[in-house]
Formats: sequence, C-alpha cells, structure tokens
Amino acid sequence: MDNSIDQIYQEALQELKAAADRQTVEDIRVRYLGRKGIITQFLRNISKLPADQRPAAGKQANQLKNLLDEACQETTHNLETVGETAAGGIDVSLPGRPAPCGSLHPITQINQRICDIFTQMGFDIAEGPEVELDYYNFEALNFPKDHPARDMQDTFFVSDDVVLRTHTSPLQIRTMEKQPPPVRIIMPGKVYRCDSDLTHTPMFHQVEGLLVDENISFGDLKGTLTAFVHQMFDEQTSLRFRPGFFPFTEPSAEVDILCVMCRGKGCRVCSRTGWLEILGSGMVHPALYENVGYDADRYTGFAFGMGVDRIAMLKFGIDDIRKFFENDIRFLSQF
Amino acid sequence: MKVSLSWLNDYVNIEMAPSDLAEALTMVGLEIESVSERYRYLDTVYVGRIEEIGPHPNADKLHLCRVDTGREQISVVCGAPNAEIGMLSPIALPGTEFPDGFVLEKNVIRGQTSAGMLCSEGELGLGDDRSGIMSLDPSLSVGDQLASALGLSDTVFEIEITPNRPDCLSVIGVAREIAAIQNSRLTYPDFKLEDKDNSISRQTSIKIEAPDHCPRYVARLLEDIQIKPSPFWLQERLLSVGLRPINNIVDVTNFVLMETGQPLHAFDFDRLSENRIVVRTANKGETFITLDQKERFLDAEMLMICDGAKAVAIGGVMGGLNSEIEDDTTRVLLESAYFNPVSIRRTTKQLGLGTDAAYRFERGVDPGGTITAANRAAKLMAEVSGGRAVGGLIDEYPGRQSVKSLKLSTQKTNRLLGTRLQRKQIENLLKSIEFTIGQKTAAKDKDTLVVTPPSFRVDISRPEDLMEEVARLFGYNNIPTTFPQMPATGRLSTKEINLRNRTRLLMNGFGFREAINYSFAHRQSGDHLRLKAADPRRQLVNILNPLTEDQAAMRTSLVPGLLQTAHYNFAQQIKNLRIFEIGKIFIDETSQQLPTENEVLAGLWTGSRYEASWHGHEAQCDFYDIKGVVEAFLNALQINDVQFSRLPENECTYTRPGYSAQILGNQTRLGLVGQLHPQVLANFDLAQAAFLFELNFDNLIPLLKDTTVSRPTPKFPAIFRDITIIVNTALETREIISTALKQSPELVEDVRLLSVFEGTPIAPGNKSVSLRVTYRSPQKTLEDEAVTPIHQSIADRLVKTFNASLPA
Ligand SMILES: [Zn+2]
Repeated sequence: MDNSIDQIYQEALQELKAAADRQTVEDIRVRYLGRKGIITQFLRNISKLPADQRPAAGKQANQLKNLLDEACQETTHNLETVGETAAGGIDVSLPGRPAPCGSLHPITQINQRICDIFTQMGFDIAEGPEVELDYYNFEALNFPKDHPARDMQDTFFVSDDVVLRTHTSPLQIRTMEKQPPPVRIIMPGKVYRCDSDLTHTPMFHQVEGLLVDENISFGDLKGTLTAFVHQMFDEQTSLRFRPGFFPFTEPSAEVDILCVMCRGKGCRVCSRTGWLEILGSGMVHPALYENVGYDADRYTGFAFGMGVDRIAMLKFGIDDIRKFFENDIRFLSQF
Repeated sequence: MKVSLSWLNDYVNIEMAPSDLAEALTMVGLEIESVSERYRYLDTVYVGRIEEIGPHPNADKLHLCRVDTGREQISVVCGAPNAEIGMLSPIALPGTEFPDGFVLEKNVIRGQTSAGMLCSEGELGLGDDRSGIMSLDPSLSVGDQLASALGLSDTVFEIEITPNRPDCLSVIGVAREIAAIQNSRLTYPDFKLEDKDNSISRQTSIKIEAPDHCPRYVARLLEDIQIKPSPFWLQERLLSVGLRPINNIVDVTNFVLMETGQPLHAFDFDRLSENRIVVRTANKGETFITLDQKERFLDAEMLMICDGAKAVAIGGVMGGLNSEIEDDTTRVLLESAYFNPVSIRRTTKQLGLGTDAAYRFERGVDPGGTITAANRAAKLMAEVSGGRAVGGLIDEYPGRQSVKSLKLSTQKTNRLLGTRLQRKQIENLLKSIEFTIGQKTAAKDKDTLVVTPPSFRVDISRPEDLMEEVARLFGYNNIPTTFPQMPATGRLSTKEINLRNRTRLLMNGFGFREAINYSFAHRQSGDHLRLKAADPRRQLVNILNPLTEDQAAMRTSLVPGLLQTAHYNFAQQIKNLRIFEIGKIFIDETSQQLPTENEVLAGLWTGSRYEASWHGHEAQCDFYDIKGVVEAFLNALQINDVQFSRLPENECTYTRPGYSAQILGNQTRLGLVGQLHPQVLANFDLAQAAFLFELNFDNLIPLLKDTTVSRPTPKFPAIFRDITIIVNTALETREIISTALKQSPELVEDVRLLSVFEGTPIAPGNKSVSLRVTYRSPQKTLEDEAVTPIHQSIADRLVKTFNASLPA
C-alpha cells in the first residue's frame, strides 16, 4: 500500500517531465487528481484500511496529492514562460509594424553641430531680422555707400535703405548696441545674395561669431577657429590663415582648411589646391567700436563667419547646393 | 588681374619657382586664382617641313604645299613668298587659337583643302614679321611642339586683388610685394622726362570746374607722331597679360596702365575744339556717344572731360567717339588724372559701364603717380611713334592733400596680434613696402613709430591698417595660436531656440521630415492661396531686383513652399509625404521701415496614413490624422488648454470649408489645421488631397510653462461607467464632453469619448455618442452605490441639454 501511492506519484512526475504543452499537463492532472483520478480514488480507498493505519496513510497520500498539484502548476507555468515549442513560432523576418520616423534637414544638422561646438566653448546664440536696414548690413559695418567693397556681395534690395541681409554680420552691431563688453556670441541664420549656380543659391545659411573683451588677440582667433575645425572635422584637418579683406575686420583673414576630400593632394573639390576656403575672419575693425560706443583703446575682439551649406556639402559629399532646397524626399531621407 | 612672370622680372629679380611664388603671394594677401603657361595656345603648333610646293589651280598668288608635321603629310594652302622646299616652319593644326582671336579650322581655300596653316612670327605672337612664314632653325626636329622647340615659356598668374589693394592692380604693385617677400630690390623704370621748355602752356590749357570730382589733372602733348602698329616688345607685353594690341599710342596707354596702375587717355589734339580741356559735370539730360558707339544718358553728378565746345570723354570711364585716336592723328593730348573714386563708382553703376580704367579709379589710384605715369607714357609714345613730346606738362591739382602720418604703438600691435615683435622688426617690415618711418618721436618713447604710408596706399588710414601690414608681412601662420579666456557665464538658450529644437525632434517622432524652402514667394502668392484682400499676408515685402518671378517677394506663409515641395516630389513618383518646415514669414508694415518677421511651424501630410503592407491595406490620411499630430505636439509641450473650433466658411481661404479648424489657446489664435482647398491644390497643380497645420511660434511661446508642479498620483482604484446618447449629427462632441464635465462633483475624474456612430439602426440625421466616465475618490475605494446616482444625473443632464435620446 505504502509503496503503491509512492509509485503512483513517481509515475505521475515522470509523465509531467515529458509533457510538452499545457494540454498534456492538464490531462495528467485530471488523470491523477481529477474527481475520478487515481490519487483521488486512492484517498477514497483509505477508509477501507484498518483504523490504526488510516491516519498515516491519509497524511502521506494528502501530502503527495498536494505535491503533485504543485508540480502540475509549476510545469504549466514553465511551459507558458519558455513558450510552447510545439507551436512552431512566428516568422521573425517579417517587417514590424512601421513606427513613424522623420528626419532633420542636413543643413539643420550641421547648423546644430556648429552651434553646439561654440556654445560648449562659452558662446551664446543671438538671432535677428533677415530683412535688414542698410545701416546694419553695410554702413555700420564700415561698408560706405558707393564703395567697391559692396560689390563683394550681390545684394537683394527692398528699398534704398532696406536689404535682405547679405550676411549675419548685422547682428554684431545689433548685439554690441544692446550690451556692453564682454560679448561672446554666435549668430546662425539665413542670408541672401542674388546669385544662383552649382555652388550658389539666392538663400543660404551662415554662422557668424563675435568675441569682444579685453586683450583678445589675433592668436586667440586662430586658436578658437582651430579648435572649432578640429571638432567639426578632425584633428588632422590643418588650417591656413591668410590675409583677406572684409571692411569690418582689420586685420582680416581668410581661413582655409586642408581639403577633406584629398587631404591636400589636390582634387576637383579643392580646385587642385589642396585647400578649401571655409571661413572669413579678422579682428573687429575699430570703426565698429566707434559706431556702437565701445572704448576702442580698452577692448579688442575678433569676428568670423562661415557658410553652413558649404560645410554641409563637404561633410556629406554633396556637389550641388541647390539639392538642399529641392526637398526631394529621397535626398532628405538620407540624413 | 593677370600678370606674367616675364614682365614682373623687369622690376624684380624673381628667385622663386612659379608655384612657390604663387603660394607666397597668396600668403601675403594676393590670392592667386590660377597659374598657367602663357604659350599654351601654341600646343597645336608644331615644327613642320615643307616637302613639296605646287601651284594652286585656282589662284596665282597661292601655293599648295605638302607639309610633314612629324605625324603625317598634310596639304596646306599658303601664300607666303618665302616658302621653299625643305624649309622648317611652324605648322598650326585646326583648333589653334591665335593671339588675335582667330581660331583655325580645317577649311577649303579656293577649292583646295587646307589641313593646317604655315605661320608668320606676327601671326603666332612671336615677333613683328608678317612678311612671310617663319623660317625655323634647320636643326630642330620635325614634329616637336613649337614652344618647346624654341624654349618659349612664361607663367601667367591670375590674381584676385581685394578692393582695398588698388596699388596691386599693376605689375609694379605686384613686383613690390614680391620684393618685400624676397627681401630684394624693386627697380622702377625711368619716369623722368627732360623738358627743354614749357611750350605746352602756349598750346593748350586745362580748366577744372569740378574739383571735387577731379582733384588732379595732368596733361602732356605729343606732336609729329605717326599711328602704326606697336613694336613687337610692346605688343608682346600686352599679349602676355591678355590684352590685344591696337596701335602704338593706345598700346602705350594700356602698357603704362598695366605697369603703374594709372589709367591714361589719349585724345586726338586736333579734334579738340579750341585745343583745350575743360573738366565739368554733365548737364542734366546731356547725352554722349562713347568709344563703343553707344549713346549714354548723363546726369548732373557725372564728370565730363570737354574741349572748348563739347564733351569728349566721360571722365575716368570711357572716351568719346569724337576725339578718338585715328590713323591720321599726328598730335595727342595725354591725360593722366586722379578722379574721385565715389564719383567714378556712381557713374559706372548708373551707366552700367565698367572699364579697366574705371575699375582702378573707383578703388583709388595713386594721386602722387599721375606725373610719373604721364612722363613714362609720353616718352614711350615718342619712342614708338616717331614723334616728340612738347616741352613741359600741365598739372592742375586743386584737390591737393598731404599724406598724413600715423602713430603706431609697438605694444598695441603686439596686443592685437598676440605677437612679441620688436620695434625694429615692425619698422623693417613696413619699410619693405616703402612706408617711411619718422625719426621725430621723443627719444624716451621706445614704443611709438611715426609711419608715413606711400601715396599709392590709399587704404591706410588707421594704426590698425598698419598692424595688418605688419601681420601679413610677418606671416599669419607665424603668429602664435592661443585660446581666449572664456569665463563660465554662458546663458541658456532662449525659449525660441529651445522650442525650435524641441519641435524638430517631436515632428521627427511623428514621422515628419524637415524641409527648407526659399524664403521667397511669387508676388501672386496671395491669389494662389485665395487670401482675402484685407489679409495681412497680402502685405508683401517686394524685392526690387529679384532673380526670378517666383522669387520676387518675401514669403508671408510657409504653405506655398510646402505645396511646391509636394509638387516636386509627386513628379518624382513620391506620393506619400509628411513634411514640416520652421521658418520666418515677412509681413510688410507701412508704419515701419522693417517688416514684421514671425516664426512659423507648418506641416503637410498627404497620401497614405500607412502604406499597404503585410500588416494591412493602405489607408489614406485624413483630417484626424493631422489633427492628432497637432494635439500630440501641443500635449508634449504641455500646452493643454487648447480648443479646436470650426473655421467659419467665409474664413476658409486655402483650406476646405467644413474641414478646417482654428487652434485657440488662451484666447489667442495659435494656428489652424485642415484639409487644403481643392482650388488651391489646383493652383499648385496637385491632384491629391492634402492636410496641413500651421502654428505661430510667437503665440505659442507665452503658453510654454517655465516649470511643472507635480500632482499626487491616485492611490485608490477608479470606477468606469459608460453613457451612450443619440443626438443630432450637427452637435459637436466637444459640447457634449464639456457639458458632462460641468457641475460634476470632484469624484468625476475624466470624461472620454469612446465612439461615434452614424447609420442603421440610428435614424438619419442623428448619431450615437458613447462616453466613458472615470470616477475616483482621493480618500477611499469607491463603492458602486456612491457612483450610480452621479452617473444617472450626468446622463439626465446630457439628455435634457441636447434633447438626446437613449439607445433602444
Ligand atoms: Zn581636394
């Protein structure tokens, strides 16, 4: 009798172990523990035993009944957790239900990167109007009326005194008019020039920078732009500063970087020179300090400006600037 | 500007290789745009041998020659008297462009094919002789390129001269920079002209009536000259910088212009009425025919050079047809003047007439260089024309200005540049480009230099200008690289920048791609959008000089740009679009000089909500898709108190009536959302329904919260109860929900729309609306009994308010 209940229990455990799905487990449970189950029957038969054996046998049988019930539950739980191998699974290679996914315009991406680099250095961002007074766009920046320097920028005119800003430089004056030194700002934004070909669009993007404080030197300008270029491109991208001309800086410097395409060997992108002109810069011209009422003896500073679109073209290997403004989805979705 | 190495060598002994020279010039600020071999045009000219000479069947004076080019034997028609069998001579093949601009083609001369051309020195730009074909040294190898066979080589530099450096718009100016780079000597040509007497003053006079426009006018007179082609050396110099020789007198003026940068003009003295010059401004309405045979309309600000009776030139810009040098000219009045740069610039801009002379005058020529240039030119003219200079010169100089000296502080120079230059170093750098250093500073002052710039450096007016000279001659790349001190006082980004950045990421998350369209618009864009006459978006900022008609104004809406983008993509077979743009719109304000600039976000959704795939069929997007985007966007920004209300039909211009809502927040209109009006779609040639939204950032920004105060999360479970009512279809669900929420006790947490249904079994004109009400108490777990009466009262209120019925 003792052996027999234990044997039944062991057999049931063996069957459970072999069970591969929940239905089988349920069948086993019913067969042993159901109303007509083997163990249920056994428990009923205990009443037929001699009275002195009944308590021990009953206790053991009940224990085993509970143990088996737990074993069934555990097996079912395990089968649920690990999955039912017999179900065959799903085709995981089928595409998932599409989640929406947009993209940032490549110009935005480069613009944000430029701004990030300079804000991490300690520059603040300033913004201003795109339709601008001639005074801020030219006059206060030391471009006199009727001066050939104005030919350097093909200007869209709204009236005699109002233009579409040809550069973000007017914000240098607007900012300095509003606050005393020190000034540390970068000025991103759209600018306009009447020019249209493979490398020019009538609207494009610039980021301008201005730092005015005591004891700011041309060496500091070189250091700041070198740090920028190394972060924007890489540490191997060397820079070349050479004299240039901007009416609002003196001395003025054009900044070339080693061609990112050919690394200086000479290619189509750099017109075989090995260098790419990407920045204009210089020390703030004292005429600007006079125009905004800064003490030109006490303060010095530098300014720089760059074309975002041109840098984006270099970073992404784009040869036609007009692609930026066609907004072809097949183009936009690449970025 | 072009300069040739051979010409530069006349004034400075160039020690560097051409490529090194180009680099060095670029690094002192004279950017070399290109370096080219001057004799490249001879690439298709070879040493040829005449193998056979026969008569030309149809022309007595022409021969038919068989020429060995080294590669083949070709037949060439030739008229030269000196052609001989066995002679070596340059043979130009088709494609050759001669210095006079003629391009050789294979052609037929009087019925005979000529596959090349035997050339004279003159034709090749290699000498004077045009009498016959060039006879080459018999030891040369047939088939060699002519230039290498003769050892011809010269380098031409194309230099971009910045507007501040007119002194470098001349060969001597560039040579001066090279001398400074090499630390070598600059040799000037002979600028002296000995005058035996001053007889010029008996023959002519100069009268300046407009001294502001013409501060200086120098004249010389030449007589007994003979107009003819220039000698070869003179032609060769002009050719080397890309100028075509014309005749000896004109060539000399061009030569001296290129050499010194001083523009000159030669008048036929005998065609000057009363043999005198009057310099005055034009009369209003005056017209004048310039050398290029065009009639010019003048205004009172333009400077005219006149004789005793009439105008003969537009001063500094272009001479007149009426006083031009002609083949029979024997006397020349030579003008060497200094004109006011602003006056010249105004005139060229006004007339749209740019010349080499005007280009230099408007940038500023050397006011001290007029006499030397006149002397140089007069001497050369006499030499090349067989004539002579009349004794003396006239120098009218009413606008004399002394060159002022500047004080330069060594310490300030070093502070600005970040250098540690010694005073002596600075002095030497400045002296190398002919600046004079004064000796008069006090002996104790070791810091200051008194510097006088040469008269040709019209760009130098401040100490900083001198610092730039020091920096560029010292070498920008030799200045130590340092980093400025940047205290940690950076400000946070503005609300505008934060909102823009946040918006871009949210829109990406909603599946929208960012577009950037031009800020321009067509002047009819208001019509294209069907805007009303009084709509402020019709107040355009017009561009006076637009590139194209559809870019003739600044945009007052982002919508046309997005629709054009849709059109472009539809043409590329891309029909499903979700795009957005953030940008400014520009509204002209009559009361102020500058327009109002507002930053706007606009989005466009057209085509599918989701494309056909194994998950399901394609479904087209609709109003509720784009509205959902706007709701989610505002939600993410925690702008919650927002209403969407139906845009009245008469306000729907570019959106479809009945399918458009204005977005209201805090009593201000934030923007709108809706389906595009079919007529507007047609205006943009679009054949597919499209949905858009616009949000004005300037109105959104005041609604952004600086901080969020958190609320406790609920501790006790909620009870959910549903209500279904049947109402008129015209009733907006927003009304039903707000009525359900109104006057409800605090136990009502939320009322949400579950479903809206029209159709059987609901009677036509009606719809069933199901709401789910959430009840919750902050203090305890609610019992059903507490909720039932409240729920009943809400249901009763809805039925009563909207005359609703309950479902059967
Ligand atoms: Zn390259």
